[in-house]
Amino acid sequence: MFLEKIFSKGKKENQVIGHITKQIKLLCTAFGFFKTALETDNPSLMQQVMDIERAADTIRRDIISRIYEGAFLPYLRPDLCKFVEVVDNIFDLLEDTAYRYLDLKLPEQLRSECIQVAFLNRRISEMLLITFESMIKGEDLREKILAIRIYEKKIDDIKFDLIRDARKIEITNFWDGEILSQFLSCLTSISDVIEDASDYLQVIHLSMK
Amino acid sequence: MKVKEFMTTGIESIDHKRSVYHAVEKMVNRRIRSLLVRFPGKEREYGVITARDVVFKVLAKGIDPKKIDVSKIASKPIVAIDKNTDFKEVAKIMEETNIARAFVYDQDRIIGLVALMDVMSASIIARARGEYVS
Repeated sequence: MFLEKIFSKGKKENQVIGHITKQIKLLCTAFGFFKTALETDNPSLMQQVMDIERAADTIRRDIISRIYEGAFLPYLRPDLCKFVEVVDNIFDLLEDTAYRYLDLKLPEQLRSECIQVAFLNRRISEMLLITFESMIKGEDLREKILAIRIYEKKIDDIKFDLIRDARKIEITNFWDGEILSQFLSCLTSISDVIEDASDYLQVIHLSMK
Repeated sequence: MKVKEFMTTGIESIDHKRSVYHAVEKMVNRRIRSLLVRFPGKEREYGVITARDVVFKVLAKGIDPKKIDVSKIASKPIVAIDKNTDFKEVAKIMEETNIARAFVYDQDRIIGLVALMDVMSASIIARARGEYVS
């Protein structure tokens, strides 16, 4: 199969695939840390999310270099690079969310919904990994991408509940309100970027047919 | 895949003494099709009122929804499932009891709701994750 020819042959290609897999696995780990930190209100664990983001940044640079050193056919390189950049954007957004969390006192009435979003974010990142691995194997991605969309829709539904509940909270200091608003916005928009990443996988998958 | 992973947690409830009109207002405002009905008692008792109940038991019979209490048309007891139940099991319960939504409990507290759409979505996700392989 053509996909197998592209993805299983060549040392450089295998290295890039290995690194992208590592990058997405790190993303799943970061989401796991974030969820636990939120559940246990643990700032040092939240700090580790930022450390993971830095590690992932190094991997991203390495992947881009290897791709432009000659891995994969030239027409595939921009889409692969774009995918890697979008995954990096997810890390950035997660890091922003963690920063905001460290800067605020999360109202208890919002915590359980935030934990549920964090849990779903972890699940959707795992689904991104499953989708990437399926693409490497040359499998059909439709079902996986639909699962990502379902997760994204679910998070969107919770977002509206969160906004409604947040509006009931009395804010006495402008910046407290602003940071809470930014935290909720970042937390609930991560899934949109993961959905974008899955769309790039679909584009790569189609462009190789 | 467990129910707690994909249930809806924002449950809207209404006191049994409120009017059906009040329930309709709540359903329209929140764009939902059912409400948990709270009854008084030693043990916390619950019922459920759905858009179907409102239409068939009140509106279609020409009854004024402002003049009838929620308790008169609510279904009781509710079908509730443990938060650790698998979605496959939920689908069976829904089929056997002919219901489109079930409440989720943790010990004796209602914590969420699963509707048919949730069962369908959960099933797609489980397939994509390779959990349900026949």
